[in-house]
Amino acid sequence: MNTLYLIFKEILHRKINFFFSILATVTAVTLFVSFFTTGQASKRETTRLMRDIGFNLRIIPRETDMSKFWNVGFSEHTMPEDYVSRFADRGDMSYNHLIATLQERITWRGMQVILTGIAPEEITPPGKAQRPMTFTMEPKNAYTIDRGTVYVGYELANILGPQDQIQIMGKSFRIARRRPETGSDEDIRIYAHLKDVQELLNKEKRVNEIKALECLCLDENKDSLDILREELEQLLPEAKVIQIRSIAKAREKQRLMISSHFSLIMPIMLIVCAAWIGVLAMMNVRERQNEIGVMRALGYGSGKISILFLGKALIIGFLGAGIGFAVGTWFALQYGPDIFEITAKSIKPLYNILGWSLIAAPVFAAVSSFIPAMVAVTQDPANTLRD
Amino acid sequence: MVHLENLSKIYRTKRGEIKALDDVSLHIEQGEFVVVRGHSGSGKTTLLLTIGGMLRPSMGNIVVDGKDIYSMGDRRRANFRAENIGFVFQMFHLIPYLNVVENVILSSHSGKKKTPEAKKLLERLNISGRETHKPSELSAGERQRTAIARALLNQPKLVLADEPTGNLDPENAAEAVGYLSEYHRNGGTVVVVTHGEAVDQFADRIVHLKEGKIQQMEDNG
Repeated sequence: MNTLYLIFKEILHRKINFFFSILATVTAVTLFVSFFTTGQASKRETTRLMRDIGFNLRIIPRETDMSKFWNVGFSEHTMPEDYVSRFADRGDMSYNHLIATLQERITWRGMQVILTGIAPEEITPPGKAQRPMTFTMEPKNAYTIDRGTVYVGYELANILGPQDQIQIMGKSFRIARRRPETGSDEDIRIYAHLKDVQELLNKEKRVNEIKALECLCLDENKDSLDILREELEQLLPEAKVIQIRSIAKAREKQRLMISSHFSLIMPIMLIVCAAWIGVLAMMNVRERQNEIGVMRALGYGSGKISILFLGKALIIGFLGAGIGFAVGTWFALQYGPDIFEITAKSIKPLYNILGWSLIAAPVFAAVSSFIPAMVAVTQDPANTLRD
Repeated sequence: MVHLENLSKIYRTKRGEIKALDDVSLHIEQGEFVVVRGHSGSGKTTLLLTIGGMLRPSMGNIVVDGKDIYSMGDRRRANFRAENIGFVFQMFHLIPYLNVVENVILSSHSGKKKTPEAKKLLERLNISGRETHKPSELSAGERQRTAIARALLNQPKLVLADEPTGNLDPENAAEAVGYLSEYHRNGGTVVVVTHGEAVDQFADRIVHLKEGKIQQMEDNG
């Protein structure tokens, strides 16, 4: 009798076992397909977001000792202030904020504080409205620092008390604002107009840092930091460029974390599904002991008996792959666009996975059923026929 | 047809060894109808399965139709069994998801080519009206007749029947044994193991088995 016919007859007879075996395969394939499809979307989304975020650049004097820079937080050297306009005048770069600062550690009332001069207005790209310089803690409530005024950090404000004047390096300034506690070195900073600080420090027309935030430098195809550095070296010979990678890194870290979760969850799910199929196959073998025994008596060899079980597993895998691909793709298309809004339109069925699923799932089901099939082949038919 | 020489079968269990067959020697001629009688646990079924190539003996030799069946490999022995031996069991052992005809042709490895023969056989065994029924839809007698048809389809040289009447009422039991007897009259060799006496009238020889040993052999001529 035709083996395939026997397999289909048995499947129709034991529908529940077959249904749950299919369910296990469908679960495994669905998870894989939906994770993979949305994973691709996540990758595209990250790439796109990173591109949109652009670089956050710190342009500092070339001779800066980087070990000191990272220890202190700013450069001890200076560079020309007009680097800001040189940078801004480049036609092939766009940015959202361009901020020039001059910072230096000074002794004030016996304390080490950081005197920070900030350009009165940031330079915004052509066509964008100019906004005053912002503090990192208050981006939405920015204030301009007028000449002759200062903002004092939280710790310094506590020392000063209610007075509204402050002496810095022999010059009097009005306290325009007392900064709230930030838990950073901002709490020991005195912020003033760049020109005032330059005068106090005798560093006219000099700055020690330019920040170019959300800078979409160069075009999409050559936005590597190396190319950017090369370009800026010619433009700003006394400067060097550092990229603040925290945002991009955080985004990439998030994507890698999801990816690592996926690579942890998937094997566990596959093992669970394999065990599930294996247990069902073993139950099937136990239920069919008499059948196996009588087939042996009728002259069916080990090969044909094992084909009965492994063939069924292949059918389960094949059907499970097809259904699982459809369900997994449906999940990805249904819920993916809500999660990955930017690249929503690019979430499409990945038909190459269907091909792989149709190969991998039957193999997976057959491997899961291998031990039960071997039990069926090696069990002594006399044991069941004697009863 | 069947030659057994100093046959022993020992089952090794957790509670120790059980000697199911103990130095059994027996010769069955071609065309002979032999009944092996004994109580439950006397080793009858073990003897039958050993003759059928289903249970390798612990010691001794078995030759069936001139072949030392246990010197063959698994596949060759399976083929030999398919071509030469038919089995009938007390519990029928029909495949639940196949209908009557399909159960009968299951013994034919050539598949549907044997369907006409199977239908003819079923007609002769008086169950032609049940061809498309599943085993669960048949009476015990019909199931046993289906099992007998399955055993006879390939016209084997040897039919081994294990308590073929054990689950049947006297009328169906007589009918089932009648079919085996008919096969025997047509030249087939039949070995029936049973604990009852219902089959004795058809037997050429009755072998009494007790605790795995042949106690007595009587011709029933």
